Amino acid sequence: MNVETGAPTTELATDLHWMTVARAASAIARRELSPVELTEALLKRIERLDPRLNAFIKVDAEAALQAARTAETEIKAGRSRGPLHGVPVGIKDIIDVAGLRTTGHSKVLADSPLATADAVCVGKLRQAGAIILGKLSTHEFAIGGPSHDLPWPPARNPWNTDHHPGGSSSGSGSGVAAGLFPMALGSDTGGSVRNPASCCGIVGLKPTYGLVSRRGVFPLSFTLDHIGPMTRTVEDNALMLEAIAGHDPLDPGSAAASAGHYHAALDLGVRGLRIGFVRHFHEIDMPAEPEVTASLEHVMRTLQMAGADVRDIHLPSLGEFSAVNRVILQSEAFSIHAAWLRTRPGDYGKLARRRLMSGAFFGSADYVTANKRRMEMIAAVNAALAEVDVLLCASSMDPACRIDNPAEIERTYPRQARTPFNNTGHPALAMMSGLSSSGLPLSVQFVGRYFDEAMLFRVARAWEQASGMDRKHPPIG
Amino acid sequence: MDKELMEALARRAGLDKALAEFPDDVAAAAKQAASVAGKIKVPADPRAEPWPPMKPGDGL
Repeated sequence: MNVETGAPTTELATDLHWMTVARAASAIARRELSPVELTEALLKRIERLDPRLNAFIKVDAEAALQAARTAETEIKAGRSRGPLHGVPVGIKDIIDVAGLRTTGHSKVLADSPLATADAVCVGKLRQAGAIILGKLSTHEFAIGGPSHDLPWPPARNPWNTDHHPGGSSSGSGSGVAAGLFPMALGSDTGGSVRNPASCCGIVGLKPTYGLVSRRGVFPLSFTLDHIGPMTRTVEDNALMLEAIAGHDPLDPGSAAASAGHYHAALDLGVRGLRIGFVRHFHEIDMPAEPEVTASLEHVMRTLQMAGADVRDIHLPSLGEFSAVNRVILQSEAFSIHAAWLRTRPGDYGKLARRRLMSGAFFGSADYVTANKRRMEMIAAVNAALAEVDVLLCASSMDPACRIDNPAEIERTYPRQARTPFNNTGHPALAMMSGLSSSGLPLSVQFVGRYFDEAMLFRVARAWEQASGMDRKHPPIG
Repeated sequence: MDKELMEALARRAGLDKALAEFPDDVAAAAKQAASVAGKIKVPADPRAEPWPPMKPGDGL
């Protein structure tokens, strides 16, 4: 691995398409940049690059430009909506946007009625002044993919379009990394925000369970679903979470917690922090590619040199975390899809059909046992986080493989350490740890205590600043 | 899981149409489920509580 040079990268932060949320919003607020100019620039880039990336299912250019004009008028009149005002965002297509169809990237919902209301998280983004650009590709119903037998093609990785971008929030990861938009919403049930963040070299957060409302999001698994922000920088991720977090009395899983001031503690550094390194995930449970292991060691040493106290931590095995996740996820998902699977099995792609039907073969005792074991896993992670402030571990054990190699996809997709924290509900953030010798992103994951996303951002920011990962962009043009 | 049991479970779940049209996918789904459930350690204490599926709040 060559962290510093790696593959060809572009570092032109002055290009509008590489502007961060924070920089764009600041320039817009100072009236040095027009939201219309920014939106038009991104729409042109989408028109040019998306035929290669397939990040979008639906570009809503007209509505985006109208929203940008409204934002411009508001800002000129001195009515600021805050740090997302005038900044474009993409929305994963399992999340409702009023006036657009929510397809789940599936033939099953390809002709469904248009959504009549925004999902809560989308409404909050709109309230904060964000410009909705359109709906983004996903693995079918956030579970089946990457698939080539759906009504829309799968998204591709901007670092190398022959490779997959991870999933299930595949269009979100691809588009943020390619500079089609600076932020996107994803969902994460078994790692679906953090997988594309890992494959595409961006920052993806699965917040604490219940911190972001799920209302208006097509469910995959009620007790494992999380909505999370995907951005190119840690700061932008914090800004986006501040906008979308908060209690929703109409979401039965919503936590009695309000949004924090995640942005405030970003630059406090890691001196004196205790970081637990979960080595056995990538060294024993699922031995990672050597380049992944080397990059994790590099992250660990960098944080250590910045003053963190790093120690080894042991958790239950990845294989068991994964099994618990599968039983719960597929049982709950089958209950959601059973009626369609019974009457319209041919309207699903092969991967989703197989994965969703698995839920029919679990018994009630399997489901309850998985949830009992889940409680023990929660206790184990809580005990670890009583000893340290943050956990550091692998996200993906391999860089993204070719999208046209189903055997390699089947082998590498489960080789990950993200499902543990869907099971336990702890916040977890994945980001770039370096580049492989083939020029594809490698990744690291940080995990925090419940509702302590601020600590995650603080550690992630320290790594980002030491490594310059936020300045590495794919050579997509 | 043998074929007979797999088909019985699929029919009980109402997947007759899938069984007729996509028998390989039903078999793959059953195989996937069977390979997963057995990997979970059953908590030794029979009174162990499951995760209350919707338990929001500060402590989770």
